[in-house]
Formats: sequence, structure tokens, C-alpha cells
Amino acid sequence: MNAVQTFKLTKEFDGLVAVNGVNLEINKGELFSLLGPNGAGKTTTIRMLCCLLKPTRGTASILGHDVVRVPFAVKKLIGVSPQDTVLSERLNCWENLALIGKVHGLSSDEVARRSKELLETMGLMERAKDPVRKFSGGMKRRLSIAMALVSDPQVLFLDEPTLGLDPQARRNIWEHIAGLKGKKTILLTTHYMEEADYLSDRIGIIDEGKVVALGTSQELKTNLLEMRSMVVSTANLTAEVLKDLRAKYSRLEMAKGRLKIYHKDLDFKGIVDYLHSQGVTVYSAALEQPTLEDVFLQITGKKLRD
Amino acid sequence: MKFWEIGKRNLKEIYRNPVLLGFLLGMPVAFMLVFIAAAGGGQASPIAMSVVDEDHSQTSSAFVQTLGSIEAIELNEPVYSEKSQAQKDLDEGKISFYLFIPSGFQAAQQAQQTINLELVYKAADPMIGLQVKPIIEAVGSEFLGVAPPLNVELKGTESEIKNPAVNFYFPGIAVYGLMILISTAAEIIAGDREKGFLSRLFTTPARPQDFILGYSLPFIPVLIFSTLIYLGVGMALGLTIVGNLGHAFLIFFLIGLCAIGIGMIVGSLVKSESQAGVSWLFIVPMAMISGAWFTVDRMPSALRSIAEALPFIHGIDASRAVLNGSSFSAIVLDIYWLVGWAVVLFAAGIALFRRTMVS
Repeated sequence: MNAVQTFKLTKEFDGLVAVNGVNLEINKGELFSLLGPNGAGKTTTIRMLCCLLKPTRGTASILGHDVVRVPFAVKKLIGVSPQDTVLSERLNCWENLALIGKVHGLSSDEVARRSKELLETMGLMERAKDPVRKFSGGMKRRLSIAMALVSDPQVLFLDEPTLGLDPQARRNIWEHIAGLKGKKTILLTTHYMEEADYLSDRIGIIDEGKVVALGTSQELKTNLLEMRSMVVSTANLTAEVLKDLRAKYSRLEMAKGRLKIYHKDLDFKGIVDYLHSQGVTVYSAALEQPTLEDVFLQITGKKLRD
Repeated sequence: MKFWEIGKRNLKEIYRNPVLLGFLLGMPVAFMLVFIAAAGGGQASPIAMSVVDEDHSQTSSAFVQTLGSIEAIELNEPVYSEKSQAQKDLDEGKISFYLFIPSGFQAAQQAQQTINLELVYKAADPMIGLQVKPIIEAVGSEFLGVAPPLNVELKGTESEIKNPAVNFYFPGIAVYGLMILISTAAEIIAGDREKGFLSRLFTTPARPQDFILGYSLPFIPVLIFSTLIYLGVGMALGLTIVGNLGHAFLIFFLIGLCAIGIGMIVGSLVKSESQAGVSWLFIVPMAMISGAWFTVDRMPSALRSIAEALPFIHGIDASRAVLNGSSFSAIVLDIYWLVGWAVVLFAAGIALFRRTMVS
């Protein structure tokens, strides 16, 4: 049985299709990311899986429990950290955790034990008694994830867990999420390709409500990426050489003495040799590591952060 | 007991919020201080007075003319010739008080006996009698040309009331204070709905009734606490409780329930940023036409009908009457009206709040 399974999951709002026939199979213990730009349908998908939105068509189940028919059973199994870090702002960490824990039916002792563990893991113990409205964005996010974990759920939903955080706070959250890998089934949504790349076992690229590519980061890059790219730092490039290169390769970009060449089956050695033969000075040349951004660009024809 | 946890959280969100509490407790207290202080500062515009002249003598009509020439008084025309007519108009709210000159006025004046006059007004509006009495005494003494063997008797229930201004203003301002619960409840619900905290709670295995109770019950201790604070401040300012305090408390409680119901309706329908606007757009005009800050006895009848269809004027009139000594039977119709409204508004509030859970 899959931890999360959807079949042709679709949501329409007044005729506008937000999620369009999404099929997902997420294994137990897997960390799966839905990567896509804003408005791609990531949050709508999560909201359907959390029983907050009724699908227009299709089905979804969590550990075999249908989200429409038995929402109460589903809610017992899941923990959710929503996109807008919603906390009870005038309560402190303990009180926020206790609220969610007790609504999940935990005893006071269990809540206290779980809260202590989580506050320590998330590095919030020192400020645990302060009202959370005084917290930084990163601290709020860590508490939000702790709240999603307090009931020890089998399936964890993290909707844009690092949205709007500075790089250091983002790293910090990543470490916490990475620490959960294998222990929980996690469905994470993000529009940061580095995040999906760093954390995920598998990635689903979603655009305009459809999952357009699915696989591990490596699979996506090697199987789907048609073009590779290399960067060459040069001096004395002539117009003739450029014209020649343009004719031979798919795309050329030139900026501040750096030449970037895109092509399928890029012949690294051949290009360097050719430049030498034309008397062009080559200071350095390197093949570029493909990124998920490149994959996204290729599949959808647009950039992730458009 | 999941509702208890949700309710506890909501109560904390209220009592740890100085702005919400400031409005709910601070504003009515400030109003009481200001209004009651202002009431001690004399009156500006002339007071419209009706007169019953049952003496039908030269002296009595000259006295009435003299009264009419006083700047502070504006005489209503015509002068009643029988007390029963004036009493009928007073009962129907057409006039707010009258001066009664009994037969034998001229004879008493000529015989230099004690002259008895009566100022008859509604028990719920003791201010008028108090404002007019010294004027009539002064005018009477001057007109009669002698140190007063003049006795203007005030016919109201205020005799036991230490400070009538407080007893007049307190019920209105207390009801107005409880109306602010509309905004308190709407703020909590609209805020949680819009920021997504309610959605977050909806992903937990709590039942709809847990949410409904968790988002309505916490306002009840707030309502009781506010009422106690208002009563405490009122009594410190000199509120005299002639009637049954329990009955007054029941009225305030019912008004509070109506306000919470309206707050739940507003909070379920309106965005949090416009919540305050919508709530106050309702609270201020309602408080005005319900007589929270000044007497509405002479308000146009159409406006009065609107006010009387709604619960607040009943809360103000009934609590004022009870505090001034009326029995429960005198206010029982107001109580029925308030109970009816409380049930309807609470039910509508719950129904609309429930709707926010489904999408």
C-alpha cells in the first residue's frame, strides 16, 4: 500500500482547472517533492490530500483511506505545516504544540514529552516560553513543522517550508527535514529547485496543474535534459569564430568574455581544440552541471521563477 | 474535550491582546466617565416642557407665560387642561415630562399657603426632572414674589438613586460596551479564517462541534468579565441598584449573547481587514438609535420602530428600569425579545461559521 496515492486528481474553481488529473504514488518513508512555480497547483493538491478541499474529480487516499469518504481517519494519520506559517501568535511554543497535540487526542503527558523532544530537536527550547509573535521567520517555520510533527503522524505535508526565508534559515530547515527522512513519509512542495534537489528521494515537476515529469533528481537531469552546456573564458574571440560556432551549436550566450554554449551531445574537447586552432586564447573551460531549473525550462519552456 | 482546548486557545488570544481588551473594557469605561462628567455641567439647549393647568386661573396662566419666557425652557403648545391627557401622551412617549399645576394654585398663592406642583416624567429618564426642578423653583419664587412656600415635587423613582446621571447613563453604556463583543468575536474568527489558522485546525481530527463550541464558548467568560467590570466601575461612580441586580445581569448576558452571535456572523462572512469597519458600522448607529448615549424618546417613529425591532433598545430600557427599581414582570416582554434574538443570532452565527469548514 502506498502512503499517498492519487488517481486523476482534479480540482476546478469556477471552470478554472487548478489541478488537472494528477496521478501520484508515494511510498512509505519516501520524501517526495512537488516542484513548480507559483500557481502551479501544488498547494491545491496538498489541500485536497489534507481533506480541506473536495476534489472535483478523481480520488486520493492516505495509507489506503479515501480523503473524501473517511476524512476523519485521514486526519488522524497526517501532520500539516501550511504555507503561511500559521501559529497562534499570542501563545508560546508549548501552548501551540499542546493545542495541536491535544486536538489530536494526545494525553497531557504525551504532549509534554513530544513537545520537549521537538523543541530540543528544532532548537527552540530557549525561547519556548516567549509568545511566538516575537519570533523570526525561521523560528516560526521550525515551530510550524514541530506542530505538524507533535502527533507523530505517519504522513507529513510540508507546504513551501522555506518560503521567504534567508539562505541560512533555509539551510537550517533543510537539515531538520533531512533528519526526518526515512522516518516519515513526507510530501513537500517547493518552487526552489535547490530544495527539491537537496532533500527529495523523488520529484514531481508540476506546471499548470499537471505533473509534467516524475523521477529522482538524477533521472530527471539525465533522461530529460536534451542539451548540455559549457562555459569558456576567452580572449580575442573574432566575429568569424562566433559566426562559425553559432552555425554549429544550438545556442550561444556571450557576456564579459564568458562564452556559454548549449548543445545536445556537447563535444567538449572538440570545441576547445577548435578555439585553439583559430588562435583564440582559452583561460578556462568547464562543462556545466545541469540543474532542475534547466529541466523545468526545457519541459515547460519557462523559468521556475517567472 | 477537544473543544475545550480550542476554546482555551481562543480565550488566551483575547486576554493577551491589549487592543481587543482596550476596546472592550477601556472604551465603555471612558464613555461612562466622560458622559457622567458632562451631565454635571448644566444643559445647553432649551428643554421642551408640557404643562397641565387644572387651576384655569389668571395666576396660573400668568405663571405658565412666565415659564415660557425663560430661555432654558420651551413650552409645548397647547397647555393641557386635564392631567389625564398629559399622562396619556407621556405614556405613549409623545412627551417626555410635564409640569402639573393643580386646581387651588391661585387660592393657595393668595392665602400664602404652600403651593404644590408636580413634575411628572418617565422613571427611565430621571435627568429631565432633575434639570427642570431648580428652574421651576427659581421661576416660581420670583413670580410669586416671595421666598418659596413653593414645593415642586419630583414624581419618579429616583428618590433612592444617589446619582441619577450615573443611573441614566450606565445601562446604555454597558449595553454599548457589550455590543463591542461583536467586533471582538468577529476579529478572532475572521483573523483565524483568513490567516489559515482555522484551516490548520481543520486538518486535525476534531469534529465540527468541537470547532463550534471552541469558537463560541470562550466569549462567554469574556462577556461575564466585561459585565462585572462595567458594573464595578458604574458602582464606583455612584450607580444605585434599586431593583434586582440578578435581573440586570440576565439582561446584560442576553445582550452579550446577541453580540457574540452577530460577531460570529460578521467573522464568518467578512475579511479580517474589513471586519472592524463592518462591525463598527453596525455598533455605532445601533447604539445611537437604541439610546445608549442619550435619550431617544423623541426620535422619529420610523427610526424608533427599527430600534425596537432590534434587541439593544430592549436591553437598555429594561436594564435601566430594573436598576431603577422595576419588577421582573415589567421587563418580561423585553426579556422574551432578547431571548428570541439571542437564539436566532447564535444559530445564524453557528450556521455561517460551520460553512467556513466546507469547501
